[in-house]
Amino acid sequence: MQPWKNGIAALAAAFLTAAVSAPAMAQEPINIAALYNVSSGGLASLDGPSLNGVKLKAKMINDAGGLLDGRMIVINAIDTKDDTREAATAAQRSVAISGLTAGIGHSDTTFALASAPLFQSAGIPFVTSGATSPDLPAMVGSEMFLVPFGDDVQAYAMAEYAYNTLGLRNVALWTDNAMDYTTGLSRYFKERFEALGGTFAIEDVYMTSDQDFSALVARLQATDGVDGVFASSGPDTAGIIVKQIREAGLDLPIMAGDGFDTDLVTTVPGPTLATNVYYTTHAYVGLETGPANEFRSAYEAEYGNPPENAFAALGYDAMGLVADAITRAGSSDPADVTAALAATSGYANAVTGTIAYVDGSRVPSKPVAIMHVVDGAVSLETTVTPAS
Amino acid sequence: MIGLSPLIKTALAIMLCAGLIYAATRTLDLYTLSIIGFVGINVMLAVSLNITNGFIGLFSLGHPAFMTLGGYLTAILVMAPARKAVMLSSLPDALAATQWGFFPALLAGGLFAAAAAVVIGYPVLRLRGHYLAVATLGLIFIVQSLAVNLSGLTRGALGLSGLPALTSLWWVYLFVGLALFVSWRLKHSSLGRAMLAIRENELAAACLGIRVARIRVLAFALGAFFAGIGGGLWIHLVTLISPHSFTFLMAFQLVVMVVLGGTGSITGAALIAVALTVSTELLRPVEEAVGLFGASQMIIAVLVLLVLIFRPTGLFGTAEPDFLPKLARVTGPTRPKPKL
Repeated sequence: MQPWKNGIAALAAAFLTAAVSAPAMAQEPINIAALYNVSSGGLASLDGPSLNGVKLKAKMINDAGGLLDGRMIVINAIDTKDDTREAATAAQRSVAISGLTAGIGHSDTTFALASAPLFQSAGIPFVTSGATSPDLPAMVGSEMFLVPFGDDVQAYAMAEYAYNTLGLRNVALWTDNAMDYTTGLSRYFKERFEALGGTFAIEDVYMTSDQDFSALVARLQATDGVDGVFASSGPDTAGIIVKQIREAGLDLPIMAGDGFDTDLVTTVPGPTLATNVYYTTHAYVGLETGPANEFRSAYEAEYGNPPENAFAALGYDAMGLVADAITRAGSSDPADVTAALAATSGYANAVTGTIAYVDGSRVPSKPVAIMHVVDGAVSLETTVTPAS
Repeated sequence: MIGLSPLIKTALAIMLCAGLIYAATRTLDLYTLSIIGFVGINVMLAVSLNITNGFIGLFSLGHPAFMTLGGYLTAILVMAPARKAVMLSSLPDALAATQWGFFPALLAGGLFAAAAAVVIGYPVLRLRGHYLAVATLGLIFIVQSLAVNLSGLTRGALGLSGLPALTSLWWVYLFVGLALFVSWRLKHSSLGRAMLAIRENELAAACLGIRVARIRVLAFALGAFFAGIGGGLWIHLVTLISPHSFTFLMAFQLVVMVVLGGTGSITGAALIAVALTVSTELLRPVEEAVGLFGASQMIIAVLVLLVLIFRPTGLFGTAEPDFLPKLARVTGPTRPKPKL
């Protein structure tokens, strides 16, 4: 061919290649890290469903075409093996992933405290699906966001329910001294219960690794006039506490926070002993809203069983919130996503209740569900919306 | 190269290491850098345990206890006073109000661990063999219990998280160099020979006028000093400390490094420390992929069994292998046969 035709052919080839590759370049995935204890510990009963919820929402978004003009979400799930050192190492590995947009994870405050500071120093937002301490944003920094309500809200709700509805006046307080979550929960419960006029007959402490509560049960039996027990406990000791209190012949109501929202609370004691237990959790069961029904049927279709507990819904909401923030920010740059998250004024597609961060707070105000366990069956007793 | 004086060789080695560290910090990502940091800290811990277990023959499992002691003091000294007021309520005013730099805090942690070793050493080091091992194992649990129950000072079982990530490769390898230097000079000095003599036959050594009790406590305290510094470096690399950060498992890993490398061989301990740390990290993605968590620990345990059966003195015994003359012997001229 003549030289000038060669030139035009080359230019045309170059333009065609660029035109084809432009959408290909825009298909670069959005990387999200998911840190959960899936392989060991009682927290696995909360984190497993949470991770399932995260992956389900990501899959649903990808099937609908992805975010930001067709970019697919890639979930980098890292198992933190119920060890805070593994959580810190996992966070280091996550922030080393190139192009990481955000981190999601953890159902417990102590683990969130281990992972989130590394995201904070890397300037990447960390959205916890299940850690509930309202002090987390202050302790970690501006990149920390909570999807669930704070422990103050759920403890106040349970204190008011215990005093006003159950009519309890003189309760025992058992606190797990090895978890940030339980020490905070006890503090808030005590604050509200005493403000209402209740008293504490006995206050006892234990460690997460304890399996034998006979000393605490003996002290409880020896104390007169106790009409209820508030067991501030995580999932590891939830079932054991119920079992050992009931085995000692004590029928008094056992109250707890969302650490009891695990199947261990019914399977460990068995159906006869798992009774007269009340616990607060994230509002999800019994909600018949559009997003809740869509979530339930999608979860059952994907995993073959209905969502195990509210934490599956929380994981689903965490992923949904991050995706919503990416869409509002219009980019997957971590700084833009953090700003969009901080400006969340009403993410209404959340299954567990609308998420809004008002007045610079990064803890949402959401309804609290109170669950009742009767003869091994868990049912929703009521949903309360916090006043203060 | 072989004829150069040891001083020049050491200076060249230091410059080479400094160059490598500089290149690493410029090119590698944070996670790989932290692995290299862990390798360095493990080398320092193995070399310091070699002083206690190798040179003087004490079977001490107490290194994690000293790491915990040194680590907590370093963390408390380095933490900002505002944070201390929130997290640690019963600190004495002297500690609560100050904030030290990283280097002095590390040294303070090391000295605290060494002081604890001296206090504990005099009664405990009267024991021999298995009894000493069990006593130092008990030390781990005592320190853990103190850390859990003195929650005003240590935040109890919750531990201290979000520590500033102050450990850089420069700090780690500075202390690795210090530990190697101290260890090497000690071994090739009369004090070191006294230690080896105590290990071989305590009664004979005492008959020769060696002050056995003092030297044993000195070795114990020296090992504890570097363990305390190792603890301080470790927790500022991981950014958290809890009473269960350093357990019997760590004691076992360090003892394995010393046993496999040869009790008394500094080079052996250092090489095995590098090999074991690197292989544990390399096996981690394999563990996750296959789902066989704990595979690296199983492999280490099997290796220990094999070494103890076929080569009980370890890789190098007590010797310090000198690689350069061996290389010259292989490549150089053959020696003339002796005339009869």
